[in-house]
Parts: sequence; structure tokens; C-alpha cells
Amino acid sequence: MPVDQLSSTFAALADPTRRAILERLADGEATVNELAQPFPVTVQAVSKHLKVLEHAGLVTRGRAAQWRPARLRGRPLEDAAGWLARYRQFFEASFDRLDDHLRAMQRRRDD
Amino acid sequence: MTDPPIEREFTITRVFDAPRELVWKAWTDPDQVARWFGPAGISTPRSTITMDVRPGGTFELTMVGDADGTEYPSGGTFLEVDEPERLVWRDRDIDLLVTVSFVDLGGRTEMTCHVVGRTGGVEAYDGWSTMFDKLADALH
Repeated sequence: MPVDQLSSTFAALADPTRRAILERLADGEATVNELAQPFPVTVQAVSKHLKVLEHAGLVTRGRAAQWRPARLRGRPLEDAAGWLARYRQFFEASFDRLDDHLRAMQRRRDD
Repeated sequence: MTDPPIEREFTITRVFDAPRELVWKAWTDPDQVARWFGPAGISTPRSTITMDVRPGGTFELTMVGDADGTEYPSGGTFLEVDEPERLVWRDRDIDLLVTVSFVDLGGRTEMTCHVVGRTGGVEAYDGWSTMFDKLADALH
């Protein structure tokens, strides 16, 4: 996953209310009103949190204009869980290139 | 069924057939960083790299996808700069602490790269693992 997508995933997950919303959605889709019930925040605030989650690709919203039930999208979260493994791949691949680069430098020095 | 644990740190060790000062330079000279930083298929143009290699100094660079030109800006802050043995930096965007150390093997160099990922501290992680457990249940 691109670094910027990871950043927006982590930014979205940084907030405890948003994490709680995601946990709730792991149990099944829910409307904004349903989501707002357990939280000491307004429906408007939950709506804002949902927008952030939607923007990060963690949540999709239904089309029914009135209710627009929110649903969890698992993929970015799974990516976030494996994000460090991705960085390992990134560094391993970079170090392959570093190895090539150092060999080229050495040859130039030896000439 | 339990999922594999979420990896929070890793270490990569490589031995390069080059003297330590050369390896140090490859890490700290922007002209050299541009030659290797990023995986295959991604370049880091020299013009995008600025580096202030001292404790507290920052660096910025932009990786560019060769195929579609997608830009991945990145950067961070150097926490420790101990030439030519040790370089520590923290990523600007993602809570990633990278420690690179270099051991002189007499003409060759052993490089150890240790990466620790934290995301909002230990408490947050505990919450996450609960969430990932629930998520795994929901998805499978």
C-alpha cells in the first residue's frame, strides 16, 4: 500500500471514538443514529468521524439517502496490520540496490 | 484459528563488500541516496532530497513510481548521528524508528537496520489487536 494511503489509515485510526465505531461495524452495518447511541457525542460528531473513516477507505456508506448504513471495509485494516511487513520489503529491496550501488562505487574507485 | 501476530519490529543485516566510510556516505550523501533509496520500480530523484545530517536535523525526499509517476513524499528527523557507526531517525509521517549501525569488517561492512513501528503508543496497540481480532472474525 502506498505510504500516503497508510498515513490516512493511521490518521483515521488515531482517534478512540473512530476505533470504537470500527469495532461496532465489525459486528455488522449500522446507521449513523445506531452508531451514535453508545457514544457521549452528537450524531453530527459521529457523522464527521464516519467521513474521516470513509475518506480513509475503511468504511463504505450505503446509497439509501436517509439511512446510509455504514459498513466496514476490511482491506485497508488488513494492510495496516501488515504495514511493518511492507516496510521490511521496502528496506530489503532498497538494500539490494544499495549493494549494487556500492559495488559500482568500488569499481570506480579501483579504476 | 489464530492469526499471525502483528509484526512490530524487524532487523535486517547485510554485509556489503565496501569499506565502512563508503557505506556511511551512501546513507548520508544526497547524491548517493538518490542512487539506491526505494525498491525496484521506484526512484528517488536527487532534486527532491534535502538532508541535514546532524542530531535534530531533518531530511525530506520524494519517491516517484517509474511506471505512473506517483509521488510518495517522505521525510524524518535524525535523532543520532555517530559517524561512521550509527544513524538513528524517526519517520515524519508514520511512527517508525529506524536505527542503522555499521561494523567495520576490514574492507567489508556489516550493516544492521533495526526498525520499530509504534502507533500511538502501547495502549493504542492493545486496542488495535482487539480490533484486528474482531475484524478477523468478521471477515472470515
